Amino acid sequence: MALLEMRDVRKRFGGVEALRGVDLDLEAGEVHALVGENGAGKSTLMKVLSGALAPDAGSVRLGGAPLRLRSVTEAQRAGIVMVYQELTLVPDLSVAENLALGKLPPLVAYGRLRARARELLAQMGLQIAPEALVRSLGAGEQQLVAVARAFAQRARVMVFDEPTATLSAAEVEQLFRLIRRLREERVAVAYISHRLEEIFELADRVTVLRDGARVATAARAELTPAQVVELMVGREVHAYQRTPHRLEEHLGTFEVEAPGLAPLSLELRRGEVVGLAGVVGSGRTEALEAMFGLRGAARWQGRTLHRPADALARGVFLVPADRKSQGLVLGLAARENVVLSVLRRLQRLGVMRRREERRLADGWFGRLSVRPPDPERPAGTFSGGNQQKLVLAKGLATAPAVLLLEEPTRGVDVATRQELYALLDGLAREGLGLVVSSSDTGELCGLCDRLLVFRGGRIVGELQAPLAREEVVARVTGAQVA
Amino acid sequence: MSPARRWRDWLSRYGIALAFGALVAALALLSPRFLTAPNLLNVLRQISVNALIAFGMTTVILGAGIDLSVGSALALCGAVAAGLAAGGLPPPLAMIAALALGAALGLVNGLFVASAGIAPFIATLGGLTIFRGVTLVYTDGRPITGLPEAFDRLGNGVALGVPVPVWVMLGFLALTHFLLRFTSLGRAIYAVGGNEEAARLSGLPIRKVKLFTYAYSGLSAALAALVLTGRLDSAQPTAGSGFELDAIAAVVVGGTSLFGGRGGVLGTFLGAAIIGVLNNGMNLLDVSAFYQQIVKGGVILGALLIDRVVAAGRQ
Repeated sequence: MALLEMRDVRKRFGGVEALRGVDLDLEAGEVHALVGENGAGKSTLMKVLSGALAPDAGSVRLGGAPLRLRSVTEAQRAGIVMVYQELTLVPDLSVAENLALGKLPPLVAYGRLRARARELLAQMGLQIAPEALVRSLGAGEQQLVAVARAFAQRARVMVFDEPTATLSAAEVEQLFRLIRRLREERVAVAYISHRLEEIFELADRVTVLRDGARVATAARAELTPAQVVELMVGREVHAYQRTPHRLEEHLGTFEVEAPGLAPLSLELRRGEVVGLAGVVGSGRTEALEAMFGLRGAARWQGRTLHRPADALARGVFLVPADRKSQGLVLGLAARENVVLSVLRRLQRLGVMRRREERRLADGWFGRLSVRPPDPERPAGTFSGGNQQKLVLAKGLATAPAVLLLEEPTRGVDVATRQELYALLDGLAREGLGLVVSSSDTGELCGLCDRLLVFRGGRIVGELQAPLAREEVVARVTGAQVA
Repeated sequence: MSPARRWRDWLSRYGIALAFGALVAALALLSPRFLTAPNLLNVLRQISVNALIAFGMTTVILGAGIDLSVGSALALCGAVAAGLAAGGLPPPLAMIAALALGAALGLVNGLFVASAGIAPFIATLGGLTIFRGVTLVYTDGRPITGLPEAFDRLGNGVALGVPVPVWVMLGFLALTHFLLRFTSLGRAIYAVGGNEEAARLSGLPIRKVKLFTYAYSGLSAALAALVLTGRLDSAQPTAGSGFELDAIAAVVVGGTSLFGGRGGVLGTFLGAAIIGVLNNGMNLLDVSAFYQQIVKGGVILGALLIDRVVAAGRQ
């Protein structure tokens, strides 16, 4: 009998059946990967499991006993913990205090507290000082502390939802070591990820969800990545590979100087796609932001870019990594977001030209096939991939010469991702210069004519298409020095 | 869209109007004097000062700010208008000077917020105290009286059967609504308040937009000052104390989010009207002034509670 059994779990949101009778077994001491496209039901299923969402029907049994979870607190008491990306640590308390949070006695004996924390961290194989303030730790280490705390509080089932999205390669390695420790300690781990390589590195079993139903559960050894993708999509999908086209004339050169970055220069030609590769903290993000005037000073076509408005005036637009916090005003209509960077062009004596505005928004909706095709809906109600299209539309409405993109497909489902790649290819063919900064090496290899590898705040290598993924990974991680 | 969701959307859009209608209907049944033209015009005249301030406050709050200095700015602008006019300056010029002063005071607030990066609550709390102090210095703590006819006409006059302050209020309502909904500046205010980071990455001039909202709030306080000075036929150094809270109440009852980016000035007008009608109705029904405060507070909390429920449903 499995440690945790979910049977015939159903959940409906309005007219959408998010879960249509899903079964899932988690064994003690296994890492069980859940894969599926956006909207397949992975997160909904895990929300049911962690008590955040009440199912319409179905049962959950833990250790054979039926569970009725009415809240996250109840689930945690039963030993089921969801590790969120937004962490539940108190930044201004020490690691030791955070590990004991909720269990702190009225009078704290700090020596004993630290000793117990040190013991726990050692057991988990973590090299983190118990007296360090959580604020001083990196995002990855904070996550590790949160996991250790859940373990200390006797979690028997732990759920990870895209835990590596914001982590560097080294941090991912640490997290994986910790998850393997949890497995040895007989914890059942459910692991959601869009990244198949992680799943094939970590998981014992894989469950594939599609359209709210389970399509397969199998031991990892019985599956190949291609098969998993096929199960997810329901048809075979090949990794995207752009066909290079002839590059045109010189477009301009970015001369970047910013704190923490060695001065660098990036020459861009019309129709060229240049990739920036590197782990988090390598400087690739900082370099891209500097090119948009967000930090330091970049020179472009004889002008210094001090702020985004300067960059926009010179035809440079940045599609930021975080659509929700940086890309869109979620409460405004999609139409209002699409025209946000061209308000000046769409007004006469300060008054908005409504008809022009609507025509512009409709045009981009059609061209990027945004779904649902209703520009009046608030931007926040669109799915991740379509929100990304809205940010792109906002940028393209400015008729840019250069598009800077940071993690352009993060959190976007496979099908929409292909659509975005084709779109970027089309833009390059029209003569735009594209600079793509990404942690997804497959994406960089598929898209770029040229790749700059960042490490420690400087460019350490340059690769030309055709790009081999193994080589890029080796360069990025420093396994192979340029 | 599910029925529950559609209902919620509908409620969030028309809830205030619905509550207002229900209130009016209830008072009409309870008091025969309530639903008469003179009484309703009286209510509108009574709310005009608060509504004028609240319209400016709405623009600041939509930009994710707050302006606590409006009550003191009102006192100072009223005193300066009265002082200049009593000193012999033609009333129109005195009034224009007061309006310019109001905008300038708001601009000072805006500079502290947008350029110096001080939290709006603190920056305008400073304004609240300083402007009051300047008013007391300017008036030497005494009311300014002996104002020209023009002030009385503005505060107590009637045009086409409607009190002049009501015309001023409706005119400023139309102007502010147009500004917020039909101009690129208005759009920028919503964007800055809704997500400042996204607005910045879109190339919007955040600093200028914020400066404008505070200057506009100061201007609306000055306009309210002229109406109030006219009604009282004098400028009182203590005028307007506590008005900032009434204005904020009208804004939030009217459905504008204190976090910025959501709401509008038509809602604020209804919010001010609800509070005004409530006061009026309770007066007509001889409810003690002590209880009136309790009811008013309850209505503000109730409005926010409904807003919470609607917002939670939207998630």
